Amino acid sequence: MLTLQVNGAAHQVDVPDDMPLLWVLRDVLGLPGTKFGCGIGECGACTVHVDGKAVRACSLPASLVGDRPVTTIEGLAEDEVATEVTKAWLDIDVVQCGYCQPGQIMAAIALLKSNLHPSDDEIDQAMSGNICRCGTYRRIRAAIRNVAGAV
Amino acid sequence: MVRLGRRAAGMAVLAGMVLTCVAARAQDADLARRGAYLEQAADCEVCHTKPGGIPFAGGRAFDLPGIGTIYAPNITPDHETGIGRYTDAQFDAAVRRGVAPGWRHLYPVMPYASYARMTEGDVRAIRAYLMTLRPVHAPAPANQVRFPYNIRVAMIGWNLLYRPSGPLADDPGRSAAWNRGRYLVDAAGHCGECHSPRNMLQALSVTKSYAGAPIDGWLAYNISSDVDSGIGAWSDPQLAAYLSTGHADGRGTAVGPMAEVVSHSLRYLTPEDIAAMVTYLRSLPARRSDETVGVVSPETLAQAGPNHSNGGRLFAGACAGCHLTDGHGRQVDFAALWGARSLGEIDGRNLVRTMVEGVTLQSAHGAMIMPAFGPEYRNQDLADIANYAIGHFGNRVGHVTAEDVAAARATVPPS
Repeated sequence: MLTLQVNGAAHQVDVPDDMPLLWVLRDVLGLPGTKFGCGIGECGACTVHVDGKAVRACSLPASLVGDRPVTTIEGLAEDEVATEVTKAWLDIDVVQCGYCQPGQIMAAIALLKSNLHPSDDEIDQAMSGNICRCGTYRRIRAAIRNVAGAV
Repeated sequence: MVRLGRRAAGMAVLAGMVLTCVAARAQDADLARRGAYLEQAADCEVCHTKPGGIPFAGGRAFDLPGIGTIYAPNITPDHETGIGRYTDAQFDAAVRRGVAPGWRHLYPVMPYASYARMTEGDVRAIRAYLMTLRPVHAPAPANQVRFPYNIRVAMIGWNLLYRPSGPLADDPGRSAAWNRGRYLVDAAGHCGECHSPRNMLQALSVTKSYAGAPIDGWLAYNISSDVDSGIGAWSDPQLAAYLSTGHADGRGTAVGPMAEVVSHSLRYLTPEDIAAMVTYLRSLPARRSDETVGVVSPETLAQAGPNHSNGGRLFAGACAGCHLTDGHGRQVDFAALWGARSLGEIDGRNLVRTMVEGVTLQSAHGAMIMPAFGPEYRNQDLADIANYAIGHFGNRVGHVTAEDVAAARATVPPS
């Protein structure tokens, strides 16, 4: 039995030691906002925050999370940076199909929380592991820059 | 009365027999249980299982440059193709003296020169364990060995020169941990079979023991106590963590054949045995070799700005998702690259093999997997990533070429 701190609450889950965090979030805790993409940490669709850092939930065994707090896109409704990011995303209609966007947004929030005024290079570096099949990269970068101006 | 007495005596004899039987069975079970642990310490399974095959059923090919291809035999208790008909003495002769039934001399690709230093009792226990496995009918493919190496009898001479006569007596001047460690490293674990260079006759070099050696297209690193090229600068906890999990922060993660050794063998050893191995490894004489360790700290790595080279951009897109550019693992510690030996080697031999082959390392938390880079990356792309990584993490100038990548790709079996 594992105890996970997810979105501010403790959850007891009875899962195998090698079950990835993503499966626990979606199938056990019923939090489907985090998406499954490639399953091998290459696309970024499953990005969540563990201890404030952007990590790929598909490649992190839940048993290795320990007592570090996990935040999913469902857990950021009250967060100031997240609210600004959402606004910035809507302002310029970043999203096309949307599948990768929870991961993109989680990666962007993690970046902005550690560096509120990232350069284009820093944005590219932080976001380069998040793939978008629709090619919304330029709008993502513009939205992140707009947040930096707004906060 | 007499009849009753007789019956009671009969019952007592019967009970005695049953008890003896039960005791014998318990003893057998104990022996097999001890053998199961020793099999893990001696890591029989890795070599005696072909990729994707049934464990212990053999068939794994060993390519020996200039000599030929030798296949590991089936060591399940099958009567015809395995070791089912072997007696204890025959099994012992094969494992410790390199002579299979019918005076068939084995080649030292079977590390019997190391196993010769195991005790007879331990080898008997391993056989007891193997005999509990399900028999599998699996004949090994015929070896293809060139002349003159195909003359098996020639091994008699080799054995006279290089096969130890038996277990080493404990050194009373050393601690029990050191003696246990020597047994696990030199005898059962046969670490030197990969980590020591060989002489012209394929015997392990004594003067360069544990100084590292090429094996199967990989480089088995120098594990002598040399500070620059061996493990002299590793801390005890780092060594213990690397042996028991395949990863130590600041030293990277085991890949290739070493990942197999950790997956099937070392991770099952008790903390006491791992500590004993560390004690012994620390005492190995320092041997200098060409590959030196270059450790760049994550703090320094984090200072490096974005890199616009092809390799730097590809790393940010394809590798940083797990490894991060500061060398800390993103999801798991196993992906923490900083300090890894492979990133200090300018020819990138192990690095390129890792990229084209991928890694599977078994852990207590499931398999830790690095996917292989497939044909969607050109040879030059992988060379660029490797040279970027060697420069960034190892502070060296990498010399990996597209030809090196092509050569490594040619050795990877199609999946």
